[in-house]
Amino acid sequence: MTDHTVACSYKIPVGPLHVALEEPMYFRVAVKGETIETVELNAGHVHRGVEYLATKRTLLQNMILTERICSLCSNSHPEALAMAAETIGAVEVPERAQYLRVIAGEVKRVASHLFNVGILAHLVGYEALFMHAMQVREVAQDLKEAVYGNRMDLGAHCLGGTRCDMDDEAITYMRSALDKLEPDVRELEKTYRTNGSILRRTRGIGILSHADAIACGVVGPVARASGIQYDVRTAAPYHVYDRLPVNVPVLDGCDVWSRAMIRLSEAVNSIEILRVCLDQLPEGPINDGGDPYIPPGQAIARTEAPRGELVYYLKTNDNPEPERLKWRVPSYPNWDALTFMLKEAKVADIAIIVNSIDPCISCTER
Amino acid sequence: MNFLQLFAHNLTQGPFTDPFPFQPAPTAKRFRGKIEFDPETCEGCRKCEKVCPAGAIRFTKTDKGLEFDCWHDSCVFCGNCEFHCPTNAIHQTQDWHLAHVQQDKYSMVAHGVIPSHECPSCGKPALFTAAPANKVKGFSEAEIAEFRALCPKCRGKYLRDRKSR
Repeated sequence: MTDHTVACSYKIPVGPLHVALEEPMYFRVAVKGETIETVELNAGHVHRGVEYLATKRTLLQNMILTERICSLCSNSHPEALAMAAETIGAVEVPERAQYLRVIAGEVKRVASHLFNVGILAHLVGYEALFMHAMQVREVAQDLKEAVYGNRMDLGAHCLGGTRCDMDDEAITYMRSALDKLEPDVRELEKTYRTNGSILRRTRGIGILSHADAIACGVVGPVARASGIQYDVRTAAPYHVYDRLPVNVPVLDGCDVWSRAMIRLSEAVNSIEILRVCLDQLPEGPINDGGDPYIPPGQAIARTEAPRGELVYYLKTNDNPEPERLKWRVPSYPNWDALTFMLKEAKVADIAIIVNSIDPCISCTER
Repeated sequence: MNFLQLFAHNLTQGPFTDPFPFQPAPTAKRFRGKIEFDPETCEGCRKCEKVCPAGAIRFTKTDKGLEFDCWHDSCVFCGNCEFHCPTNAIHQTQDWHLAHVQQDKYSMVAHGVIPSHECPSCGKPALFTAAPANKVKGFSEAEIAEFRALCPKCRGKYLRDRKSR
């Protein structure tokens, strides 16, 4: 006689290709019917040994190397590295350069957040909205190309200041781009708040409770959507953020929708910060040659990347190459929180939940 | 968002993509593209070689002089060389047309030679590099040309003599 017993629990592989974005993540998911029971995370598909490479290159070369760890937070990496080196060398950054650093950071934040909410619409299956969100983001991309000369890697920073100055033409271009961008982003925010297709797929999905969020130590929009008011720009203001209208939106929905709404309201706030920066932009130098003396020492620097808190540790010695360069990226704690978010979720929601932490695998695995 | 309105807008205002390659694609004025090197203004300090994170820039000493090579296929267009160059001898152009066939891959190079010649003062071989801007402040055109032709040793002597004059 044949045994007709069917195992009621299966393990299915998700990834490593195209889980949400075109970045390799691999999950082994145990499912019972359509519901997920446990999740195993597997990492290491895009390990390139960048930390080792960094100890083989000079600080000036590392300003470029760190920029290429990841495309969406490419501005925050050299920014944090420069801040750590400047702390060791007690280098003072000119005021104009500090404003320019904020401007570069906020332009990247707008583009990064719009990309993530655009992908969310794509995963929901609402392709028209996805196309529109990406079209809105294109304004930010063109802005980056016009001001910095590249759509992703701005090359805005150097040790002791910024590389790229803004003349009247660039300022006028940026103002007109922001005027074009703002109504579109507000319209997108309204759509994501009211559209039935979006709400049905994202409300109450991928729950990360306040307690779990604290236990996982999540950062960035994921933390703020679980009711944790934490943003490095206000908790430990760097550059000139203490003079700028930084608004830290907090929601307690703890779901995918709340994370998207946090990102959209941050994008609106970033546009406001950019306008204030352009109004207040002081005259003066933007760097001191970009090659200051960095003595042996060690320092830590923190910045708020689009995905959350980015921590850099730099140890220098008598060589021009750093002895150790290490970074803790926001996706590292957020990735771990996926085990909580995916618990009891439906298989069809995996991609939406994974996308909601805005995972950056190339940063995390470097 | 009224999608019917959006569709109507896209129908009349679109398409938003560029018709490249049938028409030239618009390029920003500040676009950071292909490297261009001017041996006339290079002072041979080799800073660009040191700051290039990709190792795309290489200087080699040959019989002709100091040869500069920037491999476009290795270059990451970061502009570190342009930023750190003290004499603006190297800069990024707006040109991004770098697609090429496989057999051309070794000719995708920006090449320049800083020629070697005889120092008019001592007769030893010297590189005809540009004069460092900070050293020739206040010099006349003729003085700069005279100074430029000298070897490093004679350049030092020239500066000392000029100071005592």
